[in-house]
Amino acid sequence: MKPSVASLYQAVELQQEIPPLLIGERANANGSKKFRELLLADDYQACVKIALEQEARGAHVIDLCTAYAGRDELADLTALVRLCAGSLKAPLMIDSTTPACIEACLRLYPGRAIVNSINLEDGGDNLRRICRAAKKYGAAVVALTIDDKGMAMTAEEKVRIARAIHAIAVGECGLRPQDLLFDCLTFTVGSGDATLRDAAVQTMEAIRRIKAELPGCLTALGVSNISFGLAPQARKVLNSVFLHEAVKAGLDAAIVDAAKVIPLARISAEDRDVCLDLLHDRQAPGEKEPLMRFIAHFTARTETPDEEGQGDGVQPEAQLFRMVMDGDKEQLEDVLAILRERFAPIDIINQILVPAMRHVGELFGKGELLLPFVLQSAEVMKASVTLLEPYMDKSEGDAATTVLLATVQGDVHDIGKNLVDIILSNNGYKVHNIGIKVPAETIIEKAKETRADLIGLSGLLVKSAMIMQESMAQFTEAGLTVPILLGGAALTPKFVAESCVPEYGGPVVYCADAFAGLKAVQEFEAGKLTSTAYDDVTAVKAMKPGIRVAEIDRTVSVPTPPFLGQRYVTDIDPSVLFPLINVEALFRGRWGYRRGKMEAGEYAGLIQKTVRPLYEELMRKSLAGGWIQPKVSYGYFPCWSEGEAVLVRADDAVHRFSFPRQAEAPYLCIADYFKSDREGGDVAGFFIVTIGPKMSEETGRLYRADAYHEYHLLHGFSVEVTDALAEYWHGVMRREMGIGGTAAQGIHGVVIQNYQGSRYGFGYPACPDLEAHNPLFSFLRPEEIGISLTENMQMVPEQTTSAIVVHHPQAKYFAV
Amino acid sequence: MTPERYICVNCGYIYDPAAGDPMNEISPGVAFAALPEEWVCPMCYAPKDQFDPLD
Repeated sequence: MKPSVASLYQAVELQQEIPPLLIGERANANGSKKFRELLLADDYQACVKIALEQEARGAHVIDLCTAYAGRDELADLTALVRLCAGSLKAPLMIDSTTPACIEACLRLYPGRAIVNSINLEDGGDNLRRICRAAKKYGAAVVALTIDDKGMAMTAEEKVRIARAIHAIAVGECGLRPQDLLFDCLTFTVGSGDATLRDAAVQTMEAIRRIKAELPGCLTALGVSNISFGLAPQARKVLNSVFLHEAVKAGLDAAIVDAAKVIPLARISAEDRDVCLDLLHDRQAPGEKEPLMRFIAHFTARTETPDEEGQGDGVQPEAQLFRMVMDGDKEQLEDVLAILRERFAPIDIINQILVPAMRHVGELFGKGELLLPFVLQSAEVMKASVTLLEPYMDKSEGDAATTVLLATVQGDVHDIGKNLVDIILSNNGYKVHNIGIKVPAETIIEKAKETRADLIGLSGLLVKSAMIMQESMAQFTEAGLTVPILLGGAALTPKFVAESCVPEYGGPVVYCADAFAGLKAVQEFEAGKLTSTAYDDVTAVKAMKPGIRVAEIDRTVSVPTPPFLGQRYVTDIDPSVLFPLINVEALFRGRWGYRRGKMEAGEYAGLIQKTVRPLYEELMRKSLAGGWIQPKVSYGYFPCWSEGEAVLVRADDAVHRFSFPRQAEAPYLCIADYFKSDREGGDVAGFFIVTIGPKMSEETGRLYRADAYHEYHLLHGFSVEVTDALAEYWHGVMRREMGIGGTAAQGIHGVVIQNYQGSRYGFGYPACPDLEAHNPLFSFLRPEEIGISLTENMQMVPEQTTSAIVVHHPQAKYFAV
Repeated sequence: MTPERYICVNCGYIYDPAAGDPMNEISPGVAFAALPEEWVCPMCYAPKDQFDPLD
């Protein structure tokens, strides 16, 4: 007697003469929007109609699932089973994981049903209970290769779990092998996730082995999972080809939308080949990746309208994946609630969310997704994890790779570090972000306490790079050996390779940005992380722009400033700064809305429709919230140059500002732009300007609220507003000194310094040493306007900048 | 084909092939793509990969 199931009206063999057995998937509250809506409307008759329609389309068995948050599954399922029993010729598959529901349905079904499903998630309790019910009522059972560690991904794991289930179901509970249909699950090859490239191969191998090693047992599979993340038309073809391949490997039954199965004969050889390459992960040398070829191939085709109409049957897995890709949080709670009925939260994270974020990262790496959109995706990820947390076991996720992040001692900058935190934690890693100004001793302590697998250090200042170098020996002495990732504006691969790597026992790696950091962590996991190396021979040595010969005119007249000494200005209207904001640097540089591969028109559209409105919104909010509070301490002081120093007379004392000189022609030094005492002395302008602490408070609030996108945008905006204030004040001082000139500026004029003289910010290329803040602070006294210094002379609040203002017509930016 | 201008995303400096870049001793007529690998923004020293096409 061949293994069969039966309805009231007919028996259906599980092993069809022309395999596979088709099990219709659309009467499923989780998988079908249409079915769900009918169920929520209590329209049982219409629900049955969906089952009947599938029968008409060739389904041999109908899967029935009514589990949905807020509904009484028992009531719904038993009612529908009763109705289907009377109307349906096709036997039923009772799709539930609640033993009580299953028992109730089996009791009243007048045929032989299949139970979908059992698994080893809880170690076997539910499994035993359901198997006993199946034995008692004579049902067949679908068994998923899931155990307490989650869904099996490799063929080896799948087979191992199948054996374990077999031992209990057949060995203990007395079921026959042919009562079991092993569903060894399949993951998508459509996400671009490199770890899932062989998902189809693993599934087919598992099917083959189960048929060989567990004789008499049958196999089933939910085929459409192979393709989620891909376009609907492409999915249909891939699903159909995969179905054919799986059947060749020994698949007996497939859970499908029967109406969407395309017979292999109706699939063109080209379509079939591109699918087979993707499924078997085949790539000849010189060929692009199979997924890229697949997508290119199907995108090139004109879309034919879907037979069934739009919108139905979008599985929640695909929906969640798409929501991460699109940065769309709107129906997140609903979609997650549906998924939680079928998947353990840790599996939702590891099998859907993490691959989606990985794909986001890959698109970013290819320049196909811009940073602000990456952050929106990360927000969806974060929100999902937060919603799933209450349902997760405390211990789950403990195995994740752990990273300790810190901004080093004396440095308050954390935008870079925080971006690393966002990217790493939303790619499944455990991040301990211990903040700013962290001394080496604390880093060592926390690294040991958290048992961090990697340490990431960040810092803006040149001094911070020095501190990182010095810390290496300290870490070694403390017995640390974990890899150290270094990031910061003042770092270079050469510096890290030559000054940091040799001082530490473990790998030391330079990371230019958060994605380089992500890559490093992934390499660490793959056992391939190595220290940054610098090859002097092949390295690109940047040009040094600027004049080649400097003949500084010693006879330039010294302007007469309106006053000598220091003054405060605190009544600046924030809106005067907006015309001076460098929007190109803001949009492209700080925010990351780069042109990439976009055509001019497309990019202009992005700026006009998306970016400008965001910018205008921030200006509005900043003004309304009083987040921009410009304050200035400035003045004009008698001075004279002495070699490489400028000596400044202020408050009856002489303050020395030492400046570095270029080591190559034209050997420039800021001091050269000022007359010496013998030449008659000179006048120097100085300022310290701030937009106040409110921006930092607001960005801090946004970061703590996981509003990554807004955090990123507001921080970038605050940087450019501060810069605009510096430009504004420099302009005021030029006018006050009478060297303002009549040239209309505009941002472009300002960028190329189309004015007389120059200002040099302390900490910037012409005067990188922040020691100058010592004398500066003593006579500008900016504490009155809320500005202080860290132990490394960095100014607080972050949105503060200082400068020496030089009037000499030959003074322009240069780097030492 | 009109030579394309490029903008530095870090500081907004615009490289116009028609003008070249005297600060880096680049004569007029040099397309952005033809600038050497070591070329940097004359205003802020950002490398070539920090430039976007403007036109």
